[in-house]
Amino acid sequence: MIEQAPALIVIIPLLCAVLSPLVGRIGKNVGYVWVVLTLASSTIFAFITLKQVITHGVVHYRMGGWLPPWGIEYVIDHLNAMMLVLVSGAALLVALYSKRSVEQELPDKTVYFYTVFLLQVTGFLGIVITGDVFNLYVFLEVASLAGYALIAIGEKGAPLASFRYVVLGTVGACFYLLGVGYLYIVTGSLNMADLSNLLPALYGSKVVLVAFAFLLVGLALKMALFPLHVWLPDAYTKAPSTASALLAPLMTKVAIYVMLRIMFTVFKPYFSIEILPVTDIMLWVGIIAIFAGAIMALAQVDFKRMLCYIIVAEVGYMVGGVGVANAIAIKGTILHILNDVVMTLGLFAVAGILTYTMRQHDLSDFKAFFKKMPITMAAFVIVALAIIGVPPTCGFFSKWYLIQGAVMAGAWSYVVALLFSSLVNVILFFRIFEIGYEFHASHDAHGFDHEVSQVIQEAPLSMLIPTVIIAVLIIMIGLYNQPIIAGIIQHAVPKL
Amino acid sequence: MLEFIISKYNFWIYIILMMIGFYAMIAKTNLVKKIIGMNIFQTAIILFFVSTAYKSDATLPILLNSQGHGAGHHAAEQVIEVSQYINPLPHVLMLTAIVVMVATLGVALAIVIRVYRDYGTLNEDEIIKAIK
Amino acid sequence: MKVLGFIVTVLTGALLIYGTLDMPNYGDPDSPASSHVSPRYITDTEIDTATPNIVTSVLADYRGYDTLGETTVIFTAGMSCILILRRRKKSYKV
Repeated sequence: MIEQAPALIVIIPLLCAVLSPLVGRIGKNVGYVWVVLTLASSTIFAFITLKQVITHGVVHYRMGGWLPPWGIEYVIDHLNAMMLVLVSGAALLVALYSKRSVEQELPDKTVYFYTVFLLQVTGFLGIVITGDVFNLYVFLEVASLAGYALIAIGEKGAPLASFRYVVLGTVGACFYLLGVGYLYIVTGSLNMADLSNLLPALYGSKVVLVAFAFLLVGLALKMALFPLHVWLPDAYTKAPSTASALLAPLMTKVAIYVMLRIMFTVFKPYFSIEILPVTDIMLWVGIIAIFAGAIMALAQVDFKRMLCYIIVAEVGYMVGGVGVANAIAIKGTILHILNDVVMTLGLFAVAGILTYTMRQHDLSDFKAFFKKMPITMAAFVIVALAIIGVPPTCGFFSKWYLIQGAVMAGAWSYVVALLFSSLVNVILFFRIFEIGYEFHASHDAHGFDHEVSQVIQEAPLSMLIPTVIIAVLIIMIGLYNQPIIAGIIQHAVPKL
Repeated sequence: MLEFIISKYNFWIYIILMMIGFYAMIAKTNLVKKIIGMNIFQTAIILFFVSTAYKSDATLPILLNSQGHGAGHHAAEQVIEVSQYINPLPHVLMLTAIVVMVATLGVALAIVIRVYRDYGTLNEDEIIKAIK
Repeated sequence: MKVLGFIVTVLTGALLIYGTLDMPNYGDPDSPASSHVSPRYITDTEIDTATPNIVTSVLADYRGYDTLGETTVIFTAGMSCILILRRRKKSYKV
C-alpha cells in the first residue's frame, strides 16, 4: 500500500470523480461527504509521500513498470511533494467549506459541481506529480477544462468571462504543447530527467531557444503574469465562491510550480541565468506586475475583484523572486508559494462568507461585520496581516527571504516594489476594517440598520471552521517556518 | 537554397496555418469564429507533430510479416529494421491531443450557448454594448 | 485590435519559423526524434506487448497512463457541458 501511495494520490480523486455523479444521487448530503472523504484520503497519501521523500529522498513511480524514457514515470522530490500536500490539503479545506455556499448558489447542480470539483483537483495533482512533459500537458487540460466549467456557472456575466479564459487558456496550453514539440524534435524525448541530460549539448540551438520561449509564455498565460493577466479578474470575480476559493489559490501557483520545473529541472539553471537573460526579464516583468497589480487593486470597489488584483501582484512577487536568481530569493519564492496558497485561500474564504451573507461582494458590504461576525473578522484580520507581511504570520517570512535575496543581488527596484505593494496592502485592508467598524453610515437609507447590526450572526459552522483553520495555519506556518525550510524547502532549491 | 526550402517547407506551412488560427482567435469579434480559429490552431499543431514522425522510404508503424499474438517467442528470428517504419510516438501523442482538442471545443461551445442565452448575440462588440 | 492582432501573429509566426531553421530535415531517418526513444518501440513491440500495430502498443501500454488522462479529459468535458448547460427546472417554462 505504501509503495503505491504516489499513484493513489491522483487515482483516488479520479475514480471517485467518476463515481460521484452516481453516489451524489443517493441523498442530499452524500455528494458533499463523498468529496470530503475522497480529498481527505488523497491528502493522507500526499502526507505519506512527503514523509517518504523526506526520509528516503526522491521517489520514482513507474506507470505500468516501463523504464523512464519509454514509459511515463512519477518523480516526486521535495518541491512537488510539498505541492502535493498543498494542493490536496487546500482542496480538502475548500471542500469542507463548500457545503452551504454551493447549496445557496447552485442548488440544482450540486452533484455535477462536485464531480467537476474533483476532476479539477485531479488535474492539479496530475500536473504536480508527473515527470513527463507531455503527460503534464494532458493533466493541464483536465485542470483547465474543469476550471472553465466551474467559472462559467457563476453569477451574471460569468459565461463571457469564462469564454475569454477559454480562448487565452487554450493559447497558453497550445504554446506549451508547441514548446514540447520543438523540444521533442531535437531531443526525441519527453521525460524531464532524460531531457535535462540531453539538452545541455543543444543549448545553442535555435529550436531550443524558441521552445523555451514558448513554454514560458504559455505558462505565463496560465499563471496570469501581468500583461497576460486580463482573463483573471473577471473570471475569478464572477465564479461561484467555492470555485474561486479552489481556483484562485491553486491554478496560478501550480503554473508557477511548472515554470520552476521547466526552468530548473528540464533546463539547467545556468541556461536561464547565464546563457539567456531570462531571469533579468522575469525580474522586471515581476516588478511591473507588482506595481500594476497593487495600483489596480486600489481602484476596485468589488472585494473579490480587489483580491484578484492582489493575486496579480503576488504572481509578480514569485516571478520576480525567480528573476532575482539566487538561492535565498528562490527559497523565498518556494516558501511564498506555500504561504500564498494558504493566504489566498483565506481571503477567498472570507469573500465566500461575505457573498453567502450579503448575496454580493462589494467592499461596502463589510459594513458592521466586526459586530456581526467577530470570529470571521478575527480570522480575516490574521489573513490580512499575513498578506501585508506582519511578523508572526507566514507572509512576513517569505517576504523577508525575497527581500534578503534581492538585497544580496542588488535588485533594489524589486525591494522597492515589494515594500510598495505591502504598503498598498495596508491601505487596502485597513480601508475594509474601517468599513467593518462603521455602524451608522447608512442610517439614512435604512433606519433600522443600526439595530440589526448589533446582533451576532456568525457564518455557518461549515464555513467558519475551515476559515479559522486557515487563520491558525497561517500563524503555525509562520512560527514553524524554520523546520519547514530546513526539512523541505532547503532541498527543493535548485543548485545554482 | 532550394534544397533547404524543400527540407523545411512542411514546418513552415503548418506554422502559417497555425498563425491563421491564432489571428482569428485574437482579431475576430464573433465568438464562434474565435472558436473556429482555436480549432485551426490546434489542428495545425497536430499536423506539425505528425509531420515530424515521417521518415523517407518508411511505411506505417504496423509490423509487416507479424506472427500476431504470441509472436514474442519467435521474435529473435525476425529482424526489424527501424528505418522501415515511421516514428510511432508523435502519432500516439496526437491521438491524445485530438481528444483534448475535441473536449476543449465541446466546453467552449457549451459556454458560447450560455453567453448567447445571456445576451442574445455572439458578437463581442454588441455584447460589450449590452453590458454598458 | 485587428492591427495589434496582426502584429502579434506575425511576430509569433516569425519566432516559430526562426526555430525551425535548426531543425532536422523533413523525412530524415536519423533525426533525434526517430533515433532516441522510438526505435525501442519498433523493435521490441512484439516481444513486450505481442501487438504488431506499434501505435496501439504505445498508446495502450508504454504510454497507457496518457490514455487514462485522455479519457479523463473527455469525461471532464462531458461533465462540464452538463454542468454548464443544465437549467433550473423553473426556467424550462420560458
